[in-house]
Amino acid sequence: MNYQSKFGKMGILHKYVLLTSILFFSGFLFSTIHAQDVTVSGTVTAASDGMPLPGVSIVNVNEPTVGIQTDFDGNYELTVSDGNTRLRFSYIGFISKVIAVNNQTSLNVTLDDDVANLDEVVVVGYGTQKKATVTGAVTAVKGAVLEASPAISVSNSLAGRLPGVVIIQTSGEPGNDESTISIRGTNTLGNNEPLIVIDGIPDRDGGLGRINGIDIANISVLKDASAAIYGARAANGAIIITTKQGEAGKPTITYNADFGMNQPTRVPELSNAVEYANIMNELPIYNNIPVSEWGAASSAITSTGSYASPTAGVGALNAQFSPAAVQAHGDGSDLYLYPDTDWFGDTFKEWAGQSRHNLSISGGSENIKYYSSLGYTNQDAYYKNSATRYQQYNFRINTDAKINDYISTKLGFTYRKEDRKFPTQAAGAIFRMLMRGRPTEAAVWPNGLPGPDIENGQNPVVVTTNATGYDKQPTDYLQFTGSIDFTNPWIDGLKLTLLAGVDQSQERQKKWETPWTLYYLDRDEYIATGNPVLNGAIRSPFTDARLTQSSLNKLNTNLTALLNYDRTFGEDHTINVLAGVTREEFQGDFFSAFRRNYLSTSVDQLGVGGEDAQDTDGFGYKRTRLGYYGRFQYNYKEKYLAEFIWRYDGSYIFPGADRFGFFPGVLAGWNINNEDWFDVKSIDYLKLRASYGQMGNDQVFFQDELQEYAYLSIYDFGSYPLDGNVQTTLFEPLLANPSFTWERANNFNVGLDGIIMNGKLSFTFEYFLNKRDQILIQKTGSTPGSSGISNLLPPVNAGKVDNEGFEFALNYYGGDQDGFKYDFGINGGYAQNTVVFLDEIPGAPSYQLQEGKPINSYLVYESDGVFRDEAAIASNTLDYSAVTSELKPGDMKFKDVDGNGLIDAEDQVRLDESDTPTFNFGATFNASYKNFDLSMLMQGATGASIRIQTESGDIGNFLKYSHDNRWSIDNPSSIHPRLASRGDTYYTGGAFGNNTYFLFSKNYIRLKNLQIAYNFPSKMIEQFGLSKFRVYVSGSNLFTIDKYKIFDPEATNSAGTYYPQARIINTGFSLTF
Amino acid sequence: MKKRKFLPLWMLAAIALLTACNEDFLETKPLDSISANATWSDGALAQAFVFNVYSYLNYGGFEEESLASITDEAMFTHSGRGINVITEGTLSASGTGNNRIVPQWDELFLAIRQANIAIKELPEATFEDTVLKDRLLGEALFLRAYYYHQLIQYYGGVPIIDRPYELDEDYTIARNTYEENINFVLGDLDTATTLLDGKEITAGRASKLSAMGLKSRVLLYAASDLRDGPTAAANSAVLSSYSNLELVAYTSGDRATRWNAAKAAAKAVLDATSGYKLDLAGPVSAEEGEDNYVSIAMGGGSTVGDPAARTELLFERSHSALFTQESDWPLGGIHQGINNGPNGYHNWAGNTPIQLLVDDYEMMDGSKFDWNNATHAADPFANRDPRLNATVLYDGADWKPRPSDVAGIDPVDQIQTGAYDDGAGGKINGVDTRESAIENWNGSRTGYYVRKFIDSDPAIIDSFSSAQVVPWPFIRYTEIALNYAEASLATGDEGEAISWLNKIRYRVGMPAVTDTGAALLERYINERRVELAYEEHRYHDARRWMIAAETLGRGIKVMSTEATLKAGASPIVPYRHDKAVYDYAYASVDNTENEVRTWDDKMYYFPISRDELNRNELLIQNPGY
Repeated sequence: MNYQSKFGKMGILHKYVLLTSILFFSGFLFSTIHAQDVTVSGTVTAASDGMPLPGVSIVNVNEPTVGIQTDFDGNYELTVSDGNTRLRFSYIGFISKVIAVNNQTSLNVTLDDDVANLDEVVVVGYGTQKKATVTGAVTAVKGAVLEASPAISVSNSLAGRLPGVVIIQTSGEPGNDESTISIRGTNTLGNNEPLIVIDGIPDRDGGLGRINGIDIANISVLKDASAAIYGARAANGAIIITTKQGEAGKPTITYNADFGMNQPTRVPELSNAVEYANIMNELPIYNNIPVSEWGAASSAITSTGSYASPTAGVGALNAQFSPAAVQAHGDGSDLYLYPDTDWFGDTFKEWAGQSRHNLSISGGSENIKYYSSLGYTNQDAYYKNSATRYQQYNFRINTDAKINDYISTKLGFTYRKEDRKFPTQAAGAIFRMLMRGRPTEAAVWPNGLPGPDIENGQNPVVVTTNATGYDKQPTDYLQFTGSIDFTNPWIDGLKLTLLAGVDQSQERQKKWETPWTLYYLDRDEYIATGNPVLNGAIRSPFTDARLTQSSLNKLNTNLTALLNYDRTFGEDHTINVLAGVTREEFQGDFFSAFRRNYLSTSVDQLGVGGEDAQDTDGFGYKRTRLGYYGRFQYNYKEKYLAEFIWRYDGSYIFPGADRFGFFPGVLAGWNINNEDWFDVKSIDYLKLRASYGQMGNDQVFFQDELQEYAYLSIYDFGSYPLDGNVQTTLFEPLLANPSFTWERANNFNVGLDGIIMNGKLSFTFEYFLNKRDQILIQKTGSTPGSSGISNLLPPVNAGKVDNEGFEFALNYYGGDQDGFKYDFGINGGYAQNTVVFLDEIPGAPSYQLQEGKPINSYLVYESDGVFRDEAAIASNTLDYSAVTSELKPGDMKFKDVDGNGLIDAEDQVRLDESDTPTFNFGATFNASYKNFDLSMLMQGATGASIRIQTESGDIGNFLKYSHDNRWSIDNPSSIHPRLASRGDTYYTGGAFGNNTYFLFSKNYIRLKNLQIAYNFPSKMIEQFGLSKFRVYVSGSNLFTIDKYKIFDPEATNSAGTYYPQARIINTGFSLTF
Repeated sequence: MKKRKFLPLWMLAAIALLTACNEDFLETKPLDSISANATWSDGALAQAFVFNVYSYLNYGGFEEESLASITDEAMFTHSGRGINVITEGTLSASGTGNNRIVPQWDELFLAIRQANIAIKELPEATFEDTVLKDRLLGEALFLRAYYYHQLIQYYGGVPIIDRPYELDEDYTIARNTYEENINFVLGDLDTATTLLDGKEITAGRASKLSAMGLKSRVLLYAASDLRDGPTAAANSAVLSSYSNLELVAYTSGDRATRWNAAKAAAKAVLDATSGYKLDLAGPVSAEEGEDNYVSIAMGGGSTVGDPAARTELLFERSHSALFTQESDWPLGGIHQGINNGPNGYHNWAGNTPIQLLVDDYEMMDGSKFDWNNATHAADPFANRDPRLNATVLYDGADWKPRPSDVAGIDPVDQIQTGAYDDGAGGKINGVDTRESAIENWNGSRTGYYVRKFIDSDPAIIDSFSSAQVVPWPFIRYTEIALNYAEASLATGDEGEAISWLNKIRYRVGMPAVTDTGAALLERYINERRVELAYEEHRYHDARRWMIAAETLGRGIKVMSTEATLKAGASPIVPYRHDKAVYDYAYASVDNTENEVRTWDDKMYYFPISRDELNRNELLIQNPGY
């Protein structure tokens, strides 16, 4: 590869940028005045515990270029040119102090904790800002906070921590349990994913989900125009992750070990064998027997197991489960013939294990600092003898080297193996079978052999194990980040940074499917002799072993040059100017191969499969981006703050002439408390902020596909069989849209930050209005099908969505002199989107339109209770002829929305809600006393509902909820309808099955995280060379409060056919040398 | 210092250079597609494009949900698929019901667009091979005609669109009359016939005979009652009150001319080629008849049956045994066995024959089956038209080897759709019923399973990963022979009709027909029903003959089979069909589990959807909606 030449090109760039800097900034050169030298030394300690503070920055106020940091023991020594100068002592997490030297040579300083941390540095796009001067809606969390969570994917540790960041975990499957993250809810009909920036590299391969949490120094979320510096990828906001760097001092070695257990937060409660049998005995009555005989039929079926109708033409009805069978299923007297199976119980173990080990070393000198970590994670699945397992190995080394006063460099290297192992059946298929498994059939025979399948060989007890082969999906990531800072010696405050990121990954799959055996009872033999003879039979949907092997290789490169000028003029005017250029390239190559007809299951190699029916596949891509961007920031006495950020961004995805776009952001802030007239004692800090930005979204997904080359008229390759051979075909994918461009976000934000009660209570409020336009839509609404192109319409930039909402965060810091400290916080974010335009089909009534309602809001019939009995049907005045040919007791009523007396398609209504919550909130409580500390996080969401409709009837089991509430002949209801078999009533299947009865609230609040820790006193552990020894217990999703308790409230799956979220109980320790 | 003076200039040049090379940097190309323009300069690529035009044929009639299930041939086993919306007459512009059985408006126009692209581009294509160019153009014209013919069958006259639309055109367009539609299709077929003359024949691709065969069908349909305005209006109040009858039928012209044209078109095909064993002087034996019929259904795509029967196929959907290429959902042609086979073989019983079809198979002697005839009722599957055995699996019928887990229940590989005396006062439910221990939700509701088109080769196990390659017969020779017979009847040529009906009957072992007049027409109607069962003809035939109310609209009847032990006999364990041990009682019973069928004259045509009407205000809705 030609990396060399790319770096060569950067060399030229770097040279000319340096020259430019000389040219532009030489005017600002000025010299300093020399006076009498004084050497000051001393120790800096923390006021709270008296411990020395290493790494405190000490700067001569009169001569800002002169500065030093305290060493590992908190000591410093600094020579100043003027004994009357003042020194500024600053350290993250402490209130800075400025102390006059007054020609003293010894100066010991104590720093107070700064709970509100205004001097804390916040990472923003291509730089950092002091919290006090931030003007955007930026929320941040420190990596250390996340360490309290036992969740394996760091994405699951973020929920409830970041106001305005919506985090939903839809699956708990090891290796696939990452949460989906969006900022300020849903802003577009297309792709809502925020841009993930890791160590300065946007859209970094692998994303954030599998980063080793312990390596994270901090996470910043840019929610508003502050993301505009990422231009065409900023519309959905940006999440910036910075990994840890070493700190000067003697090496700190930390070893963490976690041992956890996980289980589903909730296993859906299903009917037991007797309940199921009773339902299945009822259902045929409804379809086959005249309504007037239902009562008689029901009692006959219950008592004798058969009913002979007096009506001519109606055949005899025999119960599927005779009274004796129902009895036997309930009493457990014969588990071979009459089981009462709990499919989840037979498939799951009580607890699955997980563990994490991390070793990190950090340290270094003034000139070379390093941070390195080595980690191992192992996560088992809920299944007994599980074939599913996630293992991760990660290694990171981040180094800083200061070559001289002007040149410093950072080099980072990460290796990560994400080793996913699955059974050959996907989780969706496994959980479909678990939901369907009928309790009247055996999952496992009493002697321990696996029972029959539900369908296609799928007995979940077996297909969750390695009995069916394996599906290994290892992915390796190699990621390099390198940067050089040139702090120009001639111009104060000027810095050139050259940054390069190279990410290589290989995503492999090897799926080896082998036939498997299930066991069948010889019923005749068992009934005759009582001897349970179980015969094995191959029940896989194939009898020959087969192998699929594939590989996706990716190479992403990012080359960036940044020029930064940071100066304070006099005492009052501070400016920061940033200009940068980034060039990115993403390449990928995929191939896969398939063979079957293996002679034996003992050799799982591609080369020895059968010659017939081989299949191969492959594709490749190359994606490029180029961006020029910058920031101009000004503040006057940290009182008035102004910021302008921009990006001129080009993306390969758009047609030549319109490939580049300009994306500006304007931000302003006013630190009211810095006004001379502001004299409110109880308010320590008050800042008003506002921003507006115009950003793009070039991740133009449409119908779940990234719309690349949508401006080109191309044909894609397909296949079609002719004369027994598979022929390659060419098909028209979508028509070309020559004026294809990015989505455009117009984001407004107003924020208020404050600290009151002597620094004890901090608050932030945000209001935002996001107006997204140019969203890609297909103009299907206005294009007739007869055009022949209604399925080929190219995405055009015509959709519009508004999104409005607010966020808040309140934190209270308390404590007393005895060392009891605590803090309490609540935060929340509300976002309500509204579709403004998406080219709807004309002619629909206004109450059905998607326009004016939230994205994906439900379009449903409004359930209006149930016809309790024949009398209720007799008194019905509505016309149901478009719904059903005959109304029966227990049928569902619908509201006649248009009031025309007829129930038909016009009676559907568009609701105000979708399956995405509108309000997400979290509450944190942290406390420490002496050697104990506690951290707790409650988290919840409201405003969403989920459609729950399971595959039930002869095809599968019923929810216990359905059984308990159902309309029945003996216990009629006017609220809950009659049950149906596989959607065979109008209100369960087909168009009318889409009704509000099946919508359930997803509102919930849960104890997302809890950790209790004990730190051994230093006196006890010093003798072992330890500086810290901490033991803890923690938990995740420990309890949940919600209304319906059917599935986990974060679930988005209607039928329970997904791997449920985990509850985790964990214990661990941490040793620091 | 002189150097520094020129620095800004030098830098500008550098910036220009950087920008210039950046343009290229962003100019990436898709790596897995080809430009539309390049396609038409290369014969192989142009051919690949035309191959794709075939793909909108999908799997022909081989899908889990088939057209047979909205006729009196079959019922669909599973609920919740919107099939009852069609058969119970609740169909409306806003509730168009099942969307897989009937090819959808949008999909067909999409297919027509693909044909239109080829028809537009091929005459100007720059590749040299003119033979290929003609062949591809002929195929594209045939396919356009085929897709239009489908639209016309379901919707009547539709807008004629003979070119690919560009973006942002005015797409509103009115429906053309039925007559204009027919003329358009005939024009395409005549050109295709010329272009395809003398070209190579490839299974799955359209040939000259395909075009001639389709022409025969189109003309026959056009001559039928439903398509003759005055006749249609006289037979139906819904049609007579429709103010735009010209959209769905001829409102002028001479019907006799149309019959003659239909007759001539059919005759042209009959003269141009020959069918399978249609030259017999008398009926073959019953076994041979069954074999012949199975051979035709297998179409040369199986080790079972005579490969020579492939000659019947004038246009087919061929299949590949490479299941990875054809196992997309919904399962199609290679999985016909899974889609329709018995649950006792772990299959899905999609479209099971109903009693109304079974009853219409004649006795071996050519007389009608009659439930009131005690002999018939006692043993309804004995001495029947051999095509019954070749089309329908019934209780006790021999079938493929059972899967190993079921072999213990049925070691003799016989269909079990009844309830059998267990000798202890209870019943054993057959393993292929809805009371079976094997996947009972996939059991037949009718007591029958379809056999026709399922490869009975015991080596082919009906499972996801094995494939049968039986072709779907879009047009076969015998259909044309029947078309000819029908047109002959309509033009008063009973001799020709009888001659061809008898050829078809001899081949399957049935005796000659000797009726005349109305009785002969009835024999013809029944012969067509039986011969072409499950081939997507009945739905169209019953409507165009305007006999839908008394055929398609009938309530479903199914078979109930009960076996009781003969006096003194002891039950066979495990059960097997044995008339020496059991007395079998057969009854035809009503079934309302999934559908309460009816007929409403609006059902002659499918509604145009509310959305389409709203998008194209020039459209006029079909009668009755």
